[in-house]
Amino acid sequence: MRKLLLSVSDGRGFDIGLVSVPLAFLFAMAGLPLIYNIVMSFQEVDMFSLGTFARPFVGFKNYITLFSLPETWPILRNTAVFVIASIAGQFTIGFALALFFWTGFPGSSWLRGLFLVSWVMPGLVVGAIWNWILSGDFGVLNYILREVGLVSGNIFWRSDPDFSLWAVVIANIWLGISFNMILLSVGLSAISQDLYEAAELDGANVVQRFFTITLPMMRSTIGAIIALGLIFTLQQFDLFAAITAGGPNNSSNVAQYWAWDMSFRQYDFAQGATISVIMIVFVMIASVVYVRSTRHEVRG
Amino acid sequence: MSFALRDKVMLLVAVLLAAIYLFPLYWMYVTAIKTGSAMFASPPSFWPSDPQWGIYGFVWESRNVGRYLWNSLVIASGAVSLIVVLGTGCAYVLARYRNVWVDIGLFLILMLQVLPASLMITPIFVGFSQLGLLDYPRFAVILSIAAKSMPFFVVLVRATFMSVPMELEEAALVDGNSRFGAFFHIVLPLARNGILVSAILIFMQAFGEFVYSKSMIQAIEYQPASVGLNSFMGPNTNEWNNIMAYAAMYVTPILAIFVLLQRRIVSGLTSGALK
Repeated sequence: MRKLLLSVSDGRGFDIGLVSVPLAFLFAMAGLPLIYNIVMSFQEVDMFSLGTFARPFVGFKNYITLFSLPETWPILRNTAVFVIASIAGQFTIGFALALFFWTGFPGSSWLRGLFLVSWVMPGLVVGAIWNWILSGDFGVLNYILREVGLVSGNIFWRSDPDFSLWAVVIANIWLGISFNMILLSVGLSAISQDLYEAAELDGANVVQRFFTITLPMMRSTIGAIIALGLIFTLQQFDLFAAITAGGPNNSSNVAQYWAWDMSFRQYDFAQGATISVIMIVFVMIASVVYVRSTRHEVRG
Repeated sequence: MSFALRDKVMLLVAVLLAAIYLFPLYWMYVTAIKTGSAMFASPPSFWPSDPQWGIYGFVWESRNVGRYLWNSLVIASGAVSLIVVLGTGCAYVLARYRNVWVDIGLFLILMLQVLPASLMITPIFVGFSQLGLLDYPRFAVILSIAAKSMPFFVVLVRATFMSVPMELEEAALVDGNSRFGAFFHIVLPLARNGILVSAILIFMQAFGEFVYSKSMIQAIEYQPASVGLNSFMGPNTNEWNNIMAYAAMYVTPILAIFVLLQRRIVSGLTSGALK
């Protein structure tokens, strides 16, 4: 007993103690639910069997039902459109801003940091503000678009099925720009200035320098950021809840919102678990890409 | 073009870009103090001619904002305390050693970091309801947020511990400190700032958390501000000035912390995501 106490305060046991409690907590709170999720996707779960573990197993029935639903493929397509459009917008604008601030002028780093305000704001607040900006009759975005001459009539962003998904995409791009920009700035500042000086001496112009030095040197950073963008975009839930709630008629619904909607609006926990399992597989693949592209840095 | 002029032009463009980017935030504050008719005016006015400052007091009373914010505070503080107590030691061990087990642990933690809350809530909700934890809804939410955010905290704080020279700890051990003593008297004080910034980051995230609270807290007196804002925004609402006033009261404390600690928060964030 004394030996054990000594080990905990002054030996191997100290480290094991420090690391095993949090890992046990994480296993109980994240590992077990993950397993339970898979189990539930093979069970029949309804309001009556919610409180018991002894639920009938139904094999792949939940998966078969899921893919026979008429809304499944449109929602998966929406998810793909949402992810690709969001990442493309965030990354392009974020990269342009990062390059702009990278030129360096008084106050550049402070102003750049100001952009991160969007990252610390609660998702619901961002959603509420955009909900109001995107409003059909009185929204300020429609007003600006009309004044510029891009549209002649009001766009009903939230209630027109052709635009509802794009309403959330716009808000999500706004939210993600800052994060992309800051991370790309970190990558840019790591490139040695000597390379640019050498290229300039050799007569390379700005565009050539961008494509032959900046892009190749940023390859692993860009990979990591796109993978992170994929992970964050698939986590986006608050904006859907605050702007369109997946509607109208599922036209702006995506898988991560649908999974929650199934469980907590339609009380079909088995279907909710089934969608979750499918999406978690996708997220896992994205995170393996992310971990691989930052691995050399993780190991230091 | 002289350098001074170039700097001025760039600064001007940068301020303009920041202004465009932060316009939604400005629009929230402006809408909040507009009158009911000014809000729906066409063309909209970009400057409030007749500011209604009384709206803050009105919304605070009528929507019970104080109670919502208090619940957000309780949930965020609880989650942050749990994360700091459990996560700091874990980050320390993962920073101090270099072997295959540490690599595996780090990999698992990074994988846990990416699981979307809206997908994990189904099994967590069912499991918690079977364990009876849903009778203590705020505690259940604290546990879930802690599990969700701890990986991020561990990654951030591990980077801090890596920058504490190991020689200092070894010197303390040679001087007769136990591992326990060296950790609490030497390493922790040196890493204090990094831990504090990471904790603030986690706090701001937890303060705005929505999915878990929305799903697990049915009783309105325990709901945090995010859920309150969601139920305020009905599908056909037209009280946008009140909603924006609510949002402003919710987000202003966070913005204040952010502006005060901007430099540290930015460097903390970047070190966590790419290192």
